[in-house]
Formats: sequence, C-alpha cells, structure tokens
Amino acid sequence: MKLVDAETEKVYRVVAIEGGCHSKDRLIKLGILPGVEIELKRKAPLRGPFMVSLNGSDIVVGRGIAAKIEVEELV
Amino acid sequence: MTTIALVGQPNCGKSTLFNQIAGYKSLAANFPGATVTYTKGTTYIDNELVEVVDLPGTYSLSWYDDAEKETVKALFSMDIDVIVNIIDASMLIRSIELTLELMALEKPMIVALNMMDEAKKKGIQIDTKKLEEIIGVKIVPIIAKKGKGIKELLASIQNAQKPKKRCVYQKEAEETIKNLSGCIAENVKDIKWPSKLVAIKAIEGFSECEEVVENSPCKDLLNIAKDKLNNGMTIINQRHALCMNIFEHSTKLTKPPKKSIESRIDDFLMHPFLGYVFMLAIFVAIFYGVFTGGSPIENFVISIFDTVDNYLAQLITNKLVFAIAKGAADGIGAAIGIALPYLLPFLFIISLLEDVGYLPRIAYLMDSTMHKMGIHGTSVIPFVAGYGCSVPAIMAIRILKSKKEKYISAFLASLVPCSARTTVIMGLVGYFLGWQYVIALYALNLFVIAVSGVILKKMLPGISPEMIIDIPPYRMPTVKTLLLKTWHKVKDFVYLAIPMLIVGSIVLTLISYYNLNPYINNIFKPVLTGFLGLPSALGVVLIFGILKKELTLIMLYQALGLSSISMLSSVMSPTQMLTFTIFVIFYIPCVATIAAINKEIGTKGGMLITVGTTALALILAFITKITAPLFI
Repeated sequence: MKLVDAETEKVYRVVAIEGGCHSKDRLIKLGILPGVEIELKRKAPLRGPFMVSLNGSDIVVGRGIAAKIEVEELV
Repeated sequence: MTTIALVGQPNCGKSTLFNQIAGYKSLAANFPGATVTYTKGTTYIDNELVEVVDLPGTYSLSWYDDAEKETVKALFSMDIDVIVNIIDASMLIRSIELTLELMALEKPMIVALNMMDEAKKKGIQIDTKKLEEIIGVKIVPIIAKKGKGIKELLASIQNAQKPKKRCVYQKEAEETIKNLSGCIAENVKDIKWPSKLVAIKAIEGFSECEEVVENSPCKDLLNIAKDKLNNGMTIINQRHALCMNIFEHSTKLTKPPKKSIESRIDDFLMHPFLGYVFMLAIFVAIFYGVFTGGSPIENFVISIFDTVDNYLAQLITNKLVFAIAKGAADGIGAAIGIALPYLLPFLFIISLLEDVGYLPRIAYLMDSTMHKMGIHGTSVIPFVAGYGCSVPAIMAIRILKSKKEKYISAFLASLVPCSARTTVIMGLVGYFLGWQYVIALYALNLFVIAVSGVILKKMLPGISPEMIIDIPPYRMPTVKTLLLKTWHKVKDFVYLAIPMLIVGSIVLTLISYYNLNPYINNIFKPVLTGFLGLPSALGVVLIFGILKKELTLIMLYQALGLSSISMLSSVMSPTQMLTFTIFVIFYIPCVATIAAINKEIGTKGGMLITVGTTALALILAFITKITAPLFI
C-alpha cells in the first residue's frame, strides 16, 4: 500500500520510494529509505501533508510525496 | 589566519554556536533553513585571531536547495583549515551520514555533539568516548544554547587532526567505487574534491559530479558502476546500515516517556480543527497586543516632543535655524515615538515565534491552502519572516526548490506588510480609526496575497515539488537571545533609518521654508490627487518610503505642514487615510528588498515585482477611494 492510504498511529515499514519522485534524495537524507520503520502520526485536513515519525524525529511530507512511498503494515 | 567552518545539518545549532563564539552576528532560529547565507566572524583562541564561518545547514554534500548549495560551494572554494561538524545528538543516525561525508574531505576536523540534554530527554545516552573511537574524530560534547563546552571545543580546534578512519563499503561496492575513482584521479585534473567522493556522488546521481565524470573518459565505468550498485542505492543502504551500526555501538537507549510534551502540545497546535483556531488566535493576539501596547506610548512620546518644539520656538529666533532644529527634533521624536513602540515589541514577538519552533507547524497546517497558490507549506517561513522585514523574507526563499515557487513566494512575500509598514497600519489607521480597521487591513492583505497566488500559479509555467520539512522540538529561547535577536533586527532602523529620517525632516522643512512645495507637488498631482484623491504633498513621503519604509508615517505629518501628528485627522479624512495606507502596504518594495529580489530571482523578476506591486497598489487604493466613503 501507499503511505497516503495508511492510518494514523500505526507503524509501517518503507518498501520502496517510487522513481521520478523529485524529493527522493531529501527523503533518503532524512532517513526515509526502504527497510526503515516509520509511524504515521498525523494527517492534515483538506488533502494536506502527512507527519511521520522515525528515530524520534518528526518529518512532514506533502501528500504527493506520500503517494509515492510504498509501505507495508507491521503486525 | 586560521579559518574554521561550522558545518552541520539544518537546525542543529550552528548559528547558536557561532553566536557564542564570535558574538551575536548570525540570526539563529528554531526551524530548518534559518541560515541561508554564510556569516563570517572572528574570535581569539589563545591570543590568536581566527576566522569562524557559519554555513547554512546541509543534509549532505550533494545539494537539494540553494541554501545547501551555498555550503557545499563554500566548502570547496574557501580555504578552510578546520571543519567543526555540529551534530544534533538527538538525531545521531542521520547526522553521522554527513559526518562520514565530511570525513572523506580529509581535512582537520572536530565533531561538536550539541543538544546532549535533548537527546537525554528522548532516552538516548551517548558514550562519546566510544563514538570517538569508532569514527576516529575528536568529539566534544556541548550545549551551544547555554554556552557549555565552548572552551573545550575551542581548545580542541587548535589541535584538530585529520580523521583517522575512513568510511569503507562492502567489498564488491568498494571495488566498483575504486575502479571509477581511480579513473577519475587519472583523467579529471581540475577538481577540488577527493576522487572517491566524486565517484560516489556521481554514482548516487548528484548531477554536478555526474557531469564531470560524463565529460571524461570514465563515462563507461560510471555506467557500469551505476548498474552494479543499483544507481547508488546499494551505497546509500550500506552507509545507512553503517550509521545504524555506529549508533547501536555508541548509545544506550532508555525508554523515553510514552508521549512527550511536544506531541501533547502538537495534539492541540496541529489538530485538524483546533490547530487553525489556535493559529488565528495567536496572530490576532500578537497584532492586538502590539497595537494596544504601542498607542499609549505613541501618545506619551508625541506629547514630550510637542513640548520640545515649543521650547525650541522660544529659544531660537532665527527662522531658518529654527526650521532646521525643529525638523531634526521632529525626526528623532517621530522615530522614537511612532516607530519604536510598535517595532520593538513586534520584532521581539516574531523572534519568539521563530525560536520556539512554531513556524514549521504553521507550514504543516497551511500546506494544502498554499498548494492552491502554486507553492507549498515551506513558503510559510518567508511569509512569517516577512512580517518582520522583507529582506530576510526574500532571502529565505533559498530553501525552496523550484523556480516557479521561488518566483511566486518572492512576489507574495514582498506583499506581506513588514514591521515598517505595520507602523503605518497601527500608527495611522489604528490610532485614528480604531483597531477594527487594522484587522480589516490585515485580512484584506491576506486575501490579496491569496488571490495573487492563485493568479500567479496559472500564469507561471513549471511544477512545484512538494514539501519535506522536519519538525523541530519546541525550544524555549532565553530572554537574552531574544533581546539580542530583536536588537539585531532593529539595529538597521537605529543606524540607517533614524539618520535618514533626520535628513528627510530637514529637507522637508527646507522645502517649505523656501516655498518650493508647489513645484515638487505638481509632479505628483496627477496620480496622487487626480487618481487617488490624496494631498499631493504626500509624493515626497512616498519617495522617501521607497528608500526606507519606516520613513513613511514619520514624515507624513511633516510633509503636510502639521506641528504634531495628532493634528493629522484635521487635514486627512478617514477615506484618505485608508487609501494612503493601502497604497503604502502594496506599493514598490524598499530599495533593500528590491536588491534582495534581484539577487534571488534575477533582475527581470525584480522588475516584474516592482511594476506588479505598484500596479496592484494603484488599483487597490483607487477601489478604496471609491468604496471607503460607503462604510466609514
């Protein structure tokens, strides 16, 4: 599934970041890369951005970017 | 002279450390991208003068935005003797990625481990000795905000050594990189980077390095390497694993409190509904507070200067001398009485907002709205900075990526009323017409910005990539930092605007003394009087306003030949006041802002913004002239 479809307060593992994503480079530098676990903390209303948490830091990504991050739920 | 460069990831405390070392020169704040240009300062270490450079934060040595580009360029063009790599201890894993890259530069280096207190709060205990052993670079723990560990840091800078270790990848990756870097070392001569770093960056797809390699005989090797290493992802994953490994070996994790205070505050401030209510309330409170606090002071100071004027009239009999003395006294009085009561508290509160860490949260809340204007949440940072001063606001667009969003943000940020224009809104409209009009003006301003954004989005070609911003923890700045920061922001007004104001006042008095008014006023008459229904004497004021917007209100009553600003209501009608203020809010940015725009988006952009805003000001002021009488 994609991060856009994820639910808040759940933990996911990043599977892949789709190609053609302009911001892939910055995502990787912030630690969002395949294999990493992230928690979806908040979604802003009105098709707003997503706030995820990893290693104790909070990162906000725009909705368009969230649509390009493939994740799987951790059980 | 030895040069020390402070390098680190955004919002790790470089500027705070810089200010501790070299005196308050760099504007530190609590959001990533507060510093977008480098600041140089000097300090003494053991009686030896050294140069310290504060560089914009960068996540790595390949840049994503123009602020990062500044740093990477500076690292390779400046003669740097010692690199001080500042690390936010609470973000150890991702910070070490930059440290590993910096180590590849093979320069004397020190790691300053900052914010140990915050790491502890998160339950991260770092064994600095162990970390030092693993990475082979001297580590000094510091708390930059409190000035702790600075002495030890300066002492170790003197004995800084080149890194003892190097980042080594797994065998296959290492061999592939070696093949390429060997070829680069042989064939590309004029590069300042170590060839291994160029090789890695080229494989990872950093265009600047890619180009260098593609234009050399090593092109084929690069393609092979990219194929083998999955376009660099193999290297990235290995490096990340290495960082995780370093983290695990040098830290102990204790269980942090289940829900930190931050995320509890954020539950309110970033709430899908309440978040917006709080945001609105915070801004209304700021403007209302500044206005109600400022106007009694304005009254008080004006009354003092009225007395001084009377006293001068008795003391000096020569008419010309009196005119000049009165002009100077009025200038000083106006500066202290009208500008400072609004400017000082306002700039103080803006500094507080920046330092607490609220701005990235507004960015989160406003992202979807700003998409409709062709920009995204990050642009909130230049906008809010714009309420203080337009110049740093324009410079802040360096943290944006695409040309389109830079253009739109520069245009819109220049429409945000800076603190100088705020003095006109508060001191003229607020003072004479009441605070409801102040709120209406700010609301109108936001509306115009939104509409302009929507129009610009349609007009300008290109795409705007989406926002990625890391949300810093809330931090309580010290009163001292806030006062220093406020002073830093108001300094320009004291040293530049007040002298100009005194000169301006004298010029105005001389113009009226020699009866030159009719000639000058005739120039402005068609537009000002004919089109906007304003006294033509305001032309001179508006011209001075382009030099420095703080001068606008202050010179207003002098231009109208009034002895005190309290008499303004007898010569200007409420409609005229509103028309004038709206014109002032939107017309040509001041000279310093135009220069900043030219630098960030080019002269063509600067011209477009100058012409565009002026046209906008004329149209809006004209509409005000027609509609205001209907409701005042």
